[in-house]
Amino acid sequence: MRSPVSLLVLLLAGPLFGATANAQQWVGEQPAARSPRFLLASSAAPVPVDARRVAALRRRISLDLPDATLDEALAAISRQSGIHFMYSKDVVRLDDHVRLRAQEITVAAALTELLMDANVDVVLSPGGQALLTRHVPPKEARVQNGTVAGTVVDSATREPVAAVSVVVDGTRLGALTDDQGHYQIPNVPEGAHTVTARRIGYGKVTLSVTITGGAQATLDFALPRAASSLEQVVVTATGTARKKEIGNSVSTIDADEIAHAPVTTPEQVIDGRSPGVSVLSNSGQPGSGGTIRLRGTGSVSQGNTPIIYIDGVRMYNGNAPTDAMSRQAISPLNDIDPADIDHVEIVKGPAATTLYGTEASGGVIQIFTKKGAAGKSRWTARVSQGINNLGHLGGDQNPTGFFLNECRGADLVNGLGVRFEDPTCPASGSWLRDGYVSRYSLATSGGTNAVTYYLSGAYDDESGVISTSRSKDAGFRGNFGFTPAPHLNLKASTAYTRRDVSWVADGDNANGFLLNVSRGPSGSMKGGGCSDPALVCVTNGDILSMDNATQSDHFILGLDATHEAFGHLTNVLRLGYDYARARDKAVTPFGYLTLPSGRMFWREWDQRLLTLDYASTLNYTLGRSWSTATSVGAQMFNSWQTNTGIQGQNFAGPGDPTLESSSVRDLTSDLDQHVINAGFFAQEVLGWRDRLFLTGGLRVDGNSAFGSSFGLQAYPKVSAAYTISDESFWPTSIAETMKLRAAYGESGKAPGAFDAVRTWAPVSAENGQPAFTPDQIGNPDLGPERTREYELGFDATTIGGRVNIGLTYYHQHTLDALIPVEYPASEGFVNRQLENVGEVFNKGLEVSVDAGIVSRPRFDWHVGVNYSGNTNRAGNLGGQSITISAISGEYVREGYAVPAYFGRVVTNPNDYADPVFAEDQYLGAIYPNKIIGLTTNLRFLERFRLSALGEWQLGGHLLNTMGYSLADNMQIWPACYAAQHAMAAAADGDSSGLGSITALQRAQCSTSSKVKAYTLWVEPSDFFKLRSVSLTYDLPARWLGGARSGSVTLAGRNLFTATKYRGTDPEVNDQGDNQFARRDYYNLPPYRTFVATLTIDF
Amino acid sequence: MTMHDALRRAAMLVCAGSTLAATAACDLSVTNPGSTRDQDLNTPSAMPALVNGMSGDLSYSLGYLAREGSVMTDELRESGTYPAMGRFDQGIIDDVDAGSLWDNAQEARWVAENGIDRMKQVLQADFETSPLSARAYLYAGFANRVLGENMCDAVIDGGPRQSDSVYFQRADSEFTEALRLAQAQGVDSLALTALAGRAQVRADLGRWTDADADAAQVPADFRFDAIFSTNSERENNNLAYETTTRREVSVWGTQWAATNADPRVPWDTLFTSAGVVQKGNNGSTPFFRQKKYPGVDAPIPLAKGTEMLLIRAEAALRDGAVPAAMGYVNDERAAYGLAALDVSDADSAWTVLQSERGAVLWLETRRLWDLRRWYAEGRTTFLEGRDTCIPISQAEQSSNPNL
Repeated sequence: MRSPVSLLVLLLAGPLFGATANAQQWVGEQPAARSPRFLLASSAAPVPVDARRVAALRRRISLDLPDATLDEALAAISRQSGIHFMYSKDVVRLDDHVRLRAQEITVAAALTELLMDANVDVVLSPGGQALLTRHVPPKEARVQNGTVAGTVVDSATREPVAAVSVVVDGTRLGALTDDQGHYQIPNVPEGAHTVTARRIGYGKVTLSVTITGGAQATLDFALPRAASSLEQVVVTATGTARKKEIGNSVSTIDADEIAHAPVTTPEQVIDGRSPGVSVLSNSGQPGSGGTIRLRGTGSVSQGNTPIIYIDGVRMYNGNAPTDAMSRQAISPLNDIDPADIDHVEIVKGPAATTLYGTEASGGVIQIFTKKGAAGKSRWTARVSQGINNLGHLGGDQNPTGFFLNECRGADLVNGLGVRFEDPTCPASGSWLRDGYVSRYSLATSGGTNAVTYYLSGAYDDESGVISTSRSKDAGFRGNFGFTPAPHLNLKASTAYTRRDVSWVADGDNANGFLLNVSRGPSGSMKGGGCSDPALVCVTNGDILSMDNATQSDHFILGLDATHEAFGHLTNVLRLGYDYARARDKAVTPFGYLTLPSGRMFWREWDQRLLTLDYASTLNYTLGRSWSTATSVGAQMFNSWQTNTGIQGQNFAGPGDPTLESSSVRDLTSDLDQHVINAGFFAQEVLGWRDRLFLTGGLRVDGNSAFGSSFGLQAYPKVSAAYTISDESFWPTSIAETMKLRAAYGESGKAPGAFDAVRTWAPVSAENGQPAFTPDQIGNPDLGPERTREYELGFDATTIGGRVNIGLTYYHQHTLDALIPVEYPASEGFVNRQLENVGEVFNKGLEVSVDAGIVSRPRFDWHVGVNYSGNTNRAGNLGGQSITISAISGEYVREGYAVPAYFGRVVTNPNDYADPVFAEDQYLGAIYPNKIIGLTTNLRFLERFRLSALGEWQLGGHLLNTMGYSLADNMQIWPACYAAQHAMAAAADGDSSGLGSITALQRAQCSTSSKVKAYTLWVEPSDFFKLRSVSLTYDLPARWLGGARSGSVTLAGRNLFTATKYRGTDPEVNDQGDNQFARRDYYNLPPYRTFVATLTIDF
Repeated sequence: MTMHDALRRAAMLVCAGSTLAATAACDLSVTNPGSTRDQDLNTPSAMPALVNGMSGDLSYSLGYLAREGSVMTDELRESGTYPAMGRFDQGIIDDVDAGSLWDNAQEARWVAENGIDRMKQVLQADFETSPLSARAYLYAGFANRVLGENMCDAVIDGGPRQSDSVYFQRADSEFTEALRLAQAQGVDSLALTALAGRAQVRADLGRWTDADADAAQVPADFRFDAIFSTNSERENNNLAYETTTRREVSVWGTQWAATNADPRVPWDTLFTSAGVVQKGNNGSTPFFRQKKYPGVDAPIPLAKGTEMLLIRAEAALRDGAVPAAMGYVNDERAAYGLAALDVSDADSAWTVLQSERGAVLWLETRRLWDLRRWYAEGRTTFLEGRDTCIPISQAEQSSNPNL
């Protein structure tokens, strides 16, 4: 509820807009005909420019050139002015001798004097370069534009490289290569040019070319592989920058890495491919969202999901509300079609995210979708067909797979010998099936130099392994680029996705499918229709008569304008709108076994986020050695969220119900809130000889969620990047490139929208009468939590560019952490109040290695390894032990991982004796703290490509509630049968069987309330998973019938899991309202997917 | 509520200055229609909802206490899957499992007592004549009685640990004040409720003569309930929910399972299609369903005339007047259509009294106190080896600097 931030934004923005407007009104007043013309490079032909209005040409210099060659004279001007001259000896007679002595003359005057009668023009580029081209007298000048065309190949394999950006330097002329590596750039002005080819994963290459008389020039490129190329351009809060200029680590995932991988969501795209990134998949229900963490858990109360930008538009980064029946939630992030993704950039901590402001302390994920390029339309069609399969659950000790794999036959018996029958078991004898998977997508792109487009549409239909589980989505994307005027570029990107998910009731839910099925004769669904009256009769199939569905719509619109002025000043203005809506419907039909009168739950949720973003960067040089980039900018994020839930019960009769057909209705939730975060930033980058870059910046934020006594928040940052390998002393025999980097920065997280205010909740009482009950204590001094981070690291390339290594050490300290503090219930308010009283520490090491093991024309093998180690602990929490779930033993406590399990342990677990207990002991961190990702890409026999991704996640723990509950008095956990029989015999006086039963077994398998405890079932959740394997065959041209290219891919996902965790899967999570901690509560585990894909480009 | 004016003005300037800002984007007010600021309650028009809230919080507290407290005593047995209920059933009542019972009961007390202070401040002289005033005092009195009868210790408004009798003393004062206001306003029903409540807490305090005097003024058919409703989940009777929608507690295994003919202790048995008695949610305990609260809107009595008769009976018994005591007992039984009992010795009369209170007050959150006080006097043994009351919650202990 704070601060006039936006006024400052306006004050900053106004003059810069004014400058931009003036810059478009250049009037060319040119010197005499024999003197050189000053031109400004543009997308068409260079345009004349008034030298008096160009800062670089206005700069004053002093020259003392009694007798110098023209080459030497230009070098002298370059040293003082910072202008880099490019010229060809075929155009400029460099050996001509010139003479000039002058004090404080302008650069324009000096050039005019020196180039008099040289028959050249000076073409200025936005990057501060000046190209000397052959002079064409204006009256005779007829633009003889030509074409530059050629092929781009991998320098090692000589394979064509697609999607390479080839740009004529100093202009907006450019093209992308096609799948054969071909490109063509029309309308290139006559004269000498430099042309640069760039692509993520390769080193940049610049070549010269001269266009004469409208002819076509051929220019072929061979790009060296360099995964961490320092010239690679990445997007920052201020605009764009080369990696070599940035003092923090930036991970980039390129479309190539996922082109043929069986990924269907952005969560799967980033999983395992970048150090410091943790993705846990939560569930085996199609459509369910996962959990993302960057660099551990830094916030106790405000969520740890990184903020997400899609093409510069901030989008909602959380999951939609948890579906009441499935205990899972969809993620709007997963509405982005991976096939549309060009690349993803990930910055992981406040040292890198300071300028993104409050909310960015959990890191930033930027997703960039594909864009069109000048050229003919290119189409890509893709068809995938496959199956989802769960395999056998529970291992060898559980022959029926928790009665899920097998629901018919003689094995349906619990540990007490109680047999049961389920007449609703499918004819196959198993509740599991192979779920059908089909995906279709079509994309086209192309354009002209003025207009480009990328259009795509996709339809996915994925059935789960239980008969009613299914997720369907359909969507389209349109990305457009316009260049209406020289140096003005407009972009529009829009996407829409509709998703329909049919859930199976699951998790901590009396109607949970796995819960009831796995309990065998002890399940709740005691129905009829069994053939043997002597058996317990259960009808778990009735659960599948429930209709639990989520339907969502997701619309994203981004509009941005980029203007480059004077060759030095770049202004970017962006408007973004993200709209996500989800509607949950859960129908328990009339006549349902355990609720015959039926029930219906309906929820409408929507989240809207408006982004206004302005950034301006002024680049200039100071002599030959120094450069600076000054940036200012401002953002405002408007967020609206509504959530309305209604429940109806007691239907009059069967049929398709509505809320109106229920006799009892209950408004279960009603939220309508609006939050604003506004801020501005300033940054200065000082460069030295293009190898050392020092950056300082400041972000200032206001937020409507801050307390009334709380002011603006300022977040500083400094960083340094030093490409030491550019120094002559650097031994390039050890490493060809080496960038050292260091960064320090701060960021924050705002409290919830109204956490600062003391409130009462309107409820009903006295049979529907209006009433109040205490809601929130409030705190007028409430502010954001602040995370300070420093990181140190390097990026290196060695062994002839074949091995790229990145290493980063980081240390985060979250101050004023927002901790939900308990107040005495005797003071009336039982809800916890957020207070800025805590601190959390995270530190860790991230290493990535990308190695080209073999690079031959017919055999190419790359291996990538990334490692993340994170040490996480809560510091001072104001003396609080924060209870996430007392029953599950989930707490945040000073000195321990955030969050962690605490509870009862057996101190003599391996003794053959009665268990000895210790209470309230630390049991382990909930989230993994070591993650190792391993990727390999192999091209062989010319047309085959094999890719695989494996991942270890270590150090985490998970409460196996299913084990606890089934081993309990239901006695249906096979690993406990022997112990339970022995203990039962001992209770009857025969202790002979106890001799082989350990104390831990006696504790875990006990049915006594005085012994058993949830926390005895907290288990390490370490696992290795073979996330994906794909084999692609590039189809021969003769099979393609004129198409440009084609391929067939066979792929599998989640093919293998190695773990000692005894629940269904170490990644599952029963998603309650609080998704901060995790527990396994009868949740369907992730399944395997096998898919065949045909891709055709034409 | 609205955003701070300064931010609003600044944001409006940004919005107006941006050529690309959509019209919709200029709606910059920060709103939260779902919550009510504390100071907005300081108006006479908010008082009815404030008092309804006192009632609602008390009912909410009672609904859970009726379910969880029932297995702490001999009223019901645990038959479900809630771990805490299993421990309560075994007589283990710790400060974590029972934390929400403490929190809810304390909230109900604070809401009523703080609400009375607010009403006096807002209504000024009108407080004396407001029909809401006596109700507010009644809710405060019953909230304190519930705390005193179930909690081991008293803590008031973040203060230090005190004897549980402090709750009864506060309740006594509050019922007395409710009685004064009700009589002054001529609202007989509220006056009877105040007398009944005061009789309860005076008995709890051991002031049997005073209790008898108040109880004598309450007719046998009097009843004052905590209200429950199907209107919203928060208004549901939780014990009813857990025994109709779920099968978490069962009459099986209790003294009441021996007979199914007492109208004060109604229960039934559910059978599967195979004719077998249904099991509770734990899959093993036979499920005998309580029917005292057949639906989630079934009210829980806070005070009844039949209990007043038993208070008089106990007062008489403690005074050695066995015939008089049995007379009150039989009056109570007659009110339920039950035959009179013929007992002449004191020990038998005590046995009858204990059983009658168990039946009359079954599932009304009163049993733990009865068992506890009688156990302290050596009259019962059910609590032998079991926890006898609900401790101060772990949250209160860790957050209250005076503890």
